[in-house]
Amino acid sequence: MPRYVVERTFPDGLEIPTNPDGASVCLGVVDNNATEQVTWLQSFVSTDKTKTFCIYDGPSPEAIRRVAGLNGLPVDVISEVRVLDPYFYVGAAS
Amino acid sequence: MRDSRLSASEEAVTDGLLERDGLLAELERRLDLAAVGAGSMTMIAGEAGAGKTSLVNELARRAAGRARIMIGGCDPLSTPRPLSPLLDVISDPGSELGDLLEESSDPVRLFTEFLTRLKGTMRPTALIIEDVHWADEGTLDFIRFLGRRVGDANALVMCTYRDDELDTAHPLRMVIGDLATRDAILRLSVEPLSIEAVRTLAGDTWVDPDHLHRLTGGNAFYVTEVLAAGTEFPRSVQDAVLARVSRLRPPTQRVVEAVSVAPRDLSILHASALAGARPTHVDEATNSGVLIGTGDRLRFRHELARTAVESSIPTGSRLDLHRRMIDLLSEETPADLARLAHHAAMAEAGELVAEYGPLAAKEASIRGAHREAVSFYEATLAHSSRLSADQVAAIRFDLGLELAIVDRQAEALEHQLLALEHHRGTGDLWAIARTLVSLGSRYWANRQTGRARESIDEALEIYESLDAGEELAFALYVSATTFMLSRRRDAARRDVARCAAKASEVGSDRVSRLALLTEGTIEIVVGDPDRGIELLREAYERSSRAGDDRAAVIALGMLGSGGGEARRYDVAIEALEMDIKRGLELDEDYGVAYSRAWMARIAFEQGRWDDAAVYADLVAEGPSGRGSISPVTALGALGRVRVRRGDPGARAALEEAVALGEGGEMQHLWPPLCGLAELAWLEGRSDEIGGILEWVFAEAMRADSEWARGEVGFWMWKAGVIDSPPDRAAEPFDLHMRGGWREAADRWHQIGCPYEEALALADGDTDAMLRAIEIFDSLGARPAASMTRAVLRDRGVDNIPRGPRPGTMANPYRLTGRQAEVLSLMGEGLSNGEIADRLFLSKKTVEHHVSAILAKLGATTRARAIAAVGGLLSPQDGGTPRIE
Repeated sequence: MPRYVVERTFPDGLEIPTNPDGASVCLGVVDNNATEQVTWLQSFVSTDKTKTFCIYDGPSPEAIRRVAGLNGLPVDVISEVRVLDPYFYVGAAS
Repeated sequence: MRDSRLSASEEAVTDGLLERDGLLAELERRLDLAAVGAGSMTMIAGEAGAGKTSLVNELARRAAGRARIMIGGCDPLSTPRPLSPLLDVISDPGSELGDLLEESSDPVRLFTEFLTRLKGTMRPTALIIEDVHWADEGTLDFIRFLGRRVGDANALVMCTYRDDELDTAHPLRMVIGDLATRDAILRLSVEPLSIEAVRTLAGDTWVDPDHLHRLTGGNAFYVTEVLAAGTEFPRSVQDAVLARVSRLRPPTQRVVEAVSVAPRDLSILHASALAGARPTHVDEATNSGVLIGTGDRLRFRHELARTAVESSIPTGSRLDLHRRMIDLLSEETPADLARLAHHAAMAEAGELVAEYGPLAAKEASIRGAHREAVSFYEATLAHSSRLSADQVAAIRFDLGLELAIVDRQAEALEHQLLALEHHRGTGDLWAIARTLVSLGSRYWANRQTGRARESIDEALEIYESLDAGEELAFALYVSATTFMLSRRRDAARRDVARCAAKASEVGSDRVSRLALLTEGTIEIVVGDPDRGIELLREAYERSSRAGDDRAAVIALGMLGSGGGEARRYDVAIEALEMDIKRGLELDEDYGVAYSRAWMARIAFEQGRWDDAAVYADLVAEGPSGRGSISPVTALGALGRVRVRRGDPGARAALEEAVALGEGGEMQHLWPPLCGLAELAWLEGRSDEIGGILEWVFAEAMRADSEWARGEVGFWMWKAGVIDSPPDRAAEPFDLHMRGGWREAADRWHQIGCPYEEALALADGDTDAMLRAIEIFDSLGARPAASMTRAVLRDRGVDNIPRGPRPGTMANPYRLTGRQAEVLSLMGEGLSNGEIADRLFLSKKTVEHHVSAILAKLGATTRARAIAAVGGLLSPQDGGTPRIE
């Protein structure tokens, strides 16, 4: 399944409380994602909390957009990505 | 003589049925549900000999009092008998369905009528269809038909099959895949027996249970055969079976051999005649447990036993048995053609294959079993030395038609070309012309449009020289249709007029309806769309009244796709929805995929991009039927949605669409190629557009489709390759290219294409550009919105709105953004017309949104829908839903 980075903007800042309410919001997102076989892997949040970079596995950009709609989340840009880490080329050089 | 030790072990498997309690409980539970109207279908998989038949027989035994039991099976014939299981069931007097046999020439009516007999009954029906891995195409259609509808019938359908014999291309796999997502479908697996079960079966016999379990892998049939075989371990299941048979008296062995050459079963009368045996020998065969007698017929306990015995018969005797079987079967009426053809092939009796093959093929074709028809014809051709050259040519012609239906287009062409060669040799002009007309369609399907045209022209010339009647009218219909497909207006109009005149001259109502249909299609795509719509509606009415369902469906499809191409969306959507509904009822997968693909294209053009993606996914996931036109259209729409949203995967989808449509008609290729051109424009690679569109621009200029000329021309103009509109470009594109951005935008607004409207406004003054940005933002057209913002900034315009404000919380009703917008405007009390104006949509589109909203909210009226969400959706910023 392809992997995507989804950039989102929250002009008023993203606020998810670290309490049972916040946990239930996140689990709701996970349930909605499951309806489209979309898996939320993790997110990076800018320090001012106005931008997020979310990593997803999903079948298509349309599925990513549909679950964003279900979750009431904005979508700016969707990019398809591959994983590269510092040891990616180790061995390939020798 | 019955060996008591053997029967004890047999009973342990068949009557006691070890380790099947869980499966039986599930089947009984499903039968209870079926009794109250919640029917289901169970696909029961297992290797040969695993005990699938024992399982369903046990269920049938337990349910005998409270359910109506129907059993049908597929035969291991070289080519299966079309609809064999269904015909078994309805011809069984116990089923009280004998009257349905009259329906058997029309599979869809037969299936529909059969299904109604499974509904609202006092007792539930347990329908067992055995060995569906051997099913013919008609039976697979039947299973698919039932699987999609059994949910509200009082029936439990159980299909058994060998899952280890399904290679990846096996047609049953596709049926199972099609049904996989349905709740009413359950898959069960009959697993091998455990060591404990084998230990129980072996009991206190001489057999070492561990060795037996290892040898047989727990295969239930194999285990019983070994236990029944005698005193030493056989090397294989075949050896076990043969060891048992070898203990019978010679005349009894001949009875067993006779039954072995008959797939499934054989009447006692025939078996005795073939074996020259007396009733006591038949009794010995059944008492020994090698054969089972049901009514007046004999069969093996298992197909594995039958093939073991059959393959042990010396070749000469086997051929002789098959030949004598034909003598017996040919005296029966009605003749079982598939069985006769099978025995003729097995007897290597060429003259008989040639006699029965074509008859069996025609019967298969009528029953919707086109794969089997192909296979009967191919078997016949293998013995072509027994046929006259005329017969061979006739078979090749018919085989070509069947191959075309099963989408083996290259072979279809090849066979009909050989038929043509023969007719040219004999100089039979009527046969030559008839073959040429059919070749026109074969060439077209093989994407050789030039050759298609030559064939049709030659056929017309011959028919004219022969002063032909209905044949000429029909050939003119094919000719006009071919010109229409290539979007050649004048030639298409000329031939359809000649076709109509000829049809009325010779009094052919069928061809005159076809003429009407074609004339309507020509007008809608390259002529006067209003007149086209009127003619197609008339064609639909007349064909429906005449009971010509096929023509009626084509009329609907043309209103849908032709209306879509002419951007007459209301007409198109209405026809496509009717067509989809009808197609789903009748399992016309090709038609459903075709109409859904057009729904995707229309939704894309109307700016309903979520809907477009859903329709495109349905085409990609569902059975697309035959041919590749629908995936081209659907992928094109999906790719273009991605282009306009700036999403990844745009180029891949469009390039795949173009590759699938390669070599085909311009009409299918222009949209994805325009998508690639637009992608280049948005990515600042406008210099590539001339190359991308070169071929399709030239083709569009040769053809008469104003919309193709308009859109392809528009992107050429955007790229600066041309500086004025091409002749006869569709009006809004033409206006835009002439600098009339305001008029173009108005026109697009009326048609209901918001993105194109915004493209026109983006070429206007500052206010228009701000308006364009607003529309692009509301559509989620990020690349075009950014591009327009950049142009405005360059011009020094300040205060450009930053973009849409996103929603903040979950939307519990799963409405799309657009639907939430429509709902909030409904809440303000706006009418559909007012909402349409506010959101730059057509009224019809708003109506679609409203019905989707009502469905999602489970509301029957607008007022209830608004009440259902109460204060949840804030009506103010017309943007995104928000929970207060």
